[in-house]
Amino acid sequence: MRKLLLMVMVVAALALMGAAVISAQEATGEPIRVGAIFDLSGATGDVGTPYGEGVIAYVDWLNDNGGINGRPIELISQDYAYSAETAETLYNQFVDEGVVVFMGWGTGDTLALKSRVAEDEIPFISASYSASLNDPQGEAPYNFLIATTYGDQMEIMLRVMLEQWTAAGNAAEDMRVAYFHNDSPFGVDPLDQGDAYLASQGLQAGLRVPMPRGATDFTAELQQADDFGVTHIVVQNVSGPAALLARNVVQFFGGNDVIQFGCLNWCADENFVRQAEDAAEGALGAIPFTPTTVVVPAQEAMRAWLAENDTRTLEEASLHFSQGWTAMSVMAEGIRRTLDAGSELTGPNIRAALETLVDFETGGILAPITWTSEDHRANRALAIYRVEDGLWVEASEVIDLRAEEGM
Amino acid sequence: MASEMQCGVFHETYKSDMQVRPTTMQRARILLAVVFAFALPFILGSVEMRIVNGVVIAAIGAIGLNILTGYTGQISLGQGAFLAVGAYASGLSSVYFGFSWWLSIIFAAFVTAAFGMLIGIPSLRLKGLYLAVATLAAQQIVQWVIINWDPIDGAVDGRTTDALNIPNAYLFGNPEWRLNNNEYAFYFLALVVLIVVIIAATNLFRTHIGRAFVAIRDQDIAAQVMGVSLFRYKLLAFALSSFIVGLAGGLLAQYSTAISFERFTIEVSIEYLAMIIIGGLGTISGSIYGAIFIVLLPELLRLLGRAITGTDTDSIRAFNSLLPFLQQGVFGLAIVLALIFEPEGIQKLWRNIKDYFRLFPFRY
Repeated sequence: MRKLLLMVMVVAALALMGAAVISAQEATGEPIRVGAIFDLSGATGDVGTPYGEGVIAYVDWLNDNGGINGRPIELISQDYAYSAETAETLYNQFVDEGVVVFMGWGTGDTLALKSRVAEDEIPFISASYSASLNDPQGEAPYNFLIATTYGDQMEIMLRVMLEQWTAAGNAAEDMRVAYFHNDSPFGVDPLDQGDAYLASQGLQAGLRVPMPRGATDFTAELQQADDFGVTHIVVQNVSGPAALLARNVVQFFGGNDVIQFGCLNWCADENFVRQAEDAAEGALGAIPFTPTTVVVPAQEAMRAWLAENDTRTLEEASLHFSQGWTAMSVMAEGIRRTLDAGSELTGPNIRAALETLVDFETGGILAPITWTSEDHRANRALAIYRVEDGLWVEASEVIDLRAEEGM
Repeated sequence: MASEMQCGVFHETYKSDMQVRPTTMQRARILLAVVFAFALPFILGSVEMRIVNGVVIAAIGAIGLNILTGYTGQISLGQGAFLAVGAYASGLSSVYFGFSWWLSIIFAAFVTAAFGMLIGIPSLRLKGLYLAVATLAAQQIVQWVIINWDPIDGAVDGRTTDALNIPNAYLFGNPEWRLNNNEYAFYFLALVVLIVVIIAATNLFRTHIGRAFVAIRDQDIAAQVMGVSLFRYKLLAFALSSFIVGLAGGLLAQYSTAISFERFTIEVSIEYLAMIIIGGLGTISGSIYGAIFIVLLPELLRLLGRAITGTDTDSIRAFNSLLPFLQQGVFGLAIVLALIFEPEGIQKLWRNIKDYFRLFPFRY
């Protein structure tokens, strides 16, 4: 035990010394403290790791490029293994150390922290896009949703599915949707909005099929969907189980073209394609963050940073890397605007600055972001993508529900 | 004390025989521990107090589990479910019935006791691993209900919410002493509950009920022959154990004010089992040592991790991929080593130390 501890200490000392030598960077002003929790080792570690890497990479890139008005970001971050308790402990600890904003992760812990965040007045961006976090006038004045909510993703997905279904000469009323969802609040979150959309089109409500945790086969669930007469499957889950389901669908229905398969954002990624292989072909994805296979301007900086600091390409680092990078960059924009306005860096000031974002461009990664004091949803727009030859390619124009509402 | 060497504790009166702590040394240690516990908030900052509060809640829960598993020998994998029932009973009664925090916690304890008895019914026919699987079912059912039953998330206005939000609770109605915000206020509340639970649990095993529990654990058929009603006492063990776990759950709910199923998974059940095994099965003090060990160790490893990476992005990147797994590895290793060196748990280790010094410089 003692030897091990000694070894760890020595490694630590060496790392600190090494770090001290490396970190002579451009941004030299008073550091701005940003808190972050990442899931590196917990239930969602597979997607949480690249997301965390993206956040760290952006901070590193920003500090190398002059920081925010010459002030570097000091990132105080740690793995929380997807545990709400640990998240609370780390959050308190980081706030105690003077962080002004916070980057969160999961739905459960973001909700658990919501009231504390409101009290401490800490602007908070997490990777949960549950519409219940959008309550700026009420319980969640400091939570900002950076991407299209799960409900909006579902509505846009169903809309594109219906358009394609009728365009192929099918009768609209024959469309039968089954939702295959993670058996959790995250999983059921978009289903009501999906049913509301189907009802608005005069269609039957979708069949809700929970996907048991750790399942190795979904044939029984597919049998249930088949009895329902399913024509479309939409998955709200992470990519591992979704890929398994896609393989099962091909086996059960005897091909990719019988059932239209669709994924909301946490399963529509490179990992889904890698694991499902041929079964992924033709699948649709509601992806708010532009996939790495579609070239947009913002990716340039990411690619350059990866080339310099990493052995991977952006495609290998995955779209969750660019997701973390972008989330952090938008938060940094709020801090920059606060400083530009000559205001003190406090939670209320940063919140006010974030609420001044109107059609803010993220270099093509997200649809333009608009936050107001009434609405903390970044946008209600995204394009639907399709897997073709193992790559996510655009399958629709950007559909903007908010713009349509305004018309 | 030091001058007279002891080779045992001898009682000359019935009064001394009945004492929980017969020797002066023992009483001094208890006093010291209590003084230390009450002095702790004056030494530590609020961030550290948060971890201490985690230990206190875990200690109450572990004592509850130890009554069932350590003393009565009924293995339970449903600890997470019992905690959940306690937490949700407290939270829901606050939200829907407007119960004050203390009423809701007591209510939670009774509800959990009733739930525990229900889950305990199969224990009459099932033993050991079979019972463990039956309690596992309870765990799954409770988790399913929490996830899928809408009113349980306080979704009164038809809006989906993912966590139950509980109104803020104040100690003695003092706005300064908010339980979910003021770590110090909560600590004193939880500490008082812990002390009451320790006293109650210690005395429980001096009564005929406690002795019946131990008899069932050691040999249930012999216990039955002696006239112990297995059904009655097993259910009673489930009820008493769940009552205390319900207290822990209620405290947890009022402390965090936002609860979701993720806090009460099977991992939690296993963690509590680890606490009582590492601390010492069938001892009250062991439950507390185990809670301290299991809650504190990951925190210490995290602190060490922080010390290693600092806030420099390069060093964070260098260690990020490695550190979580190193921490998990060390955590696992610590548990294995603890069990190899002292299978009877930390409380046995502590007893060995005491014995060593009692006879110093001689030994058995």
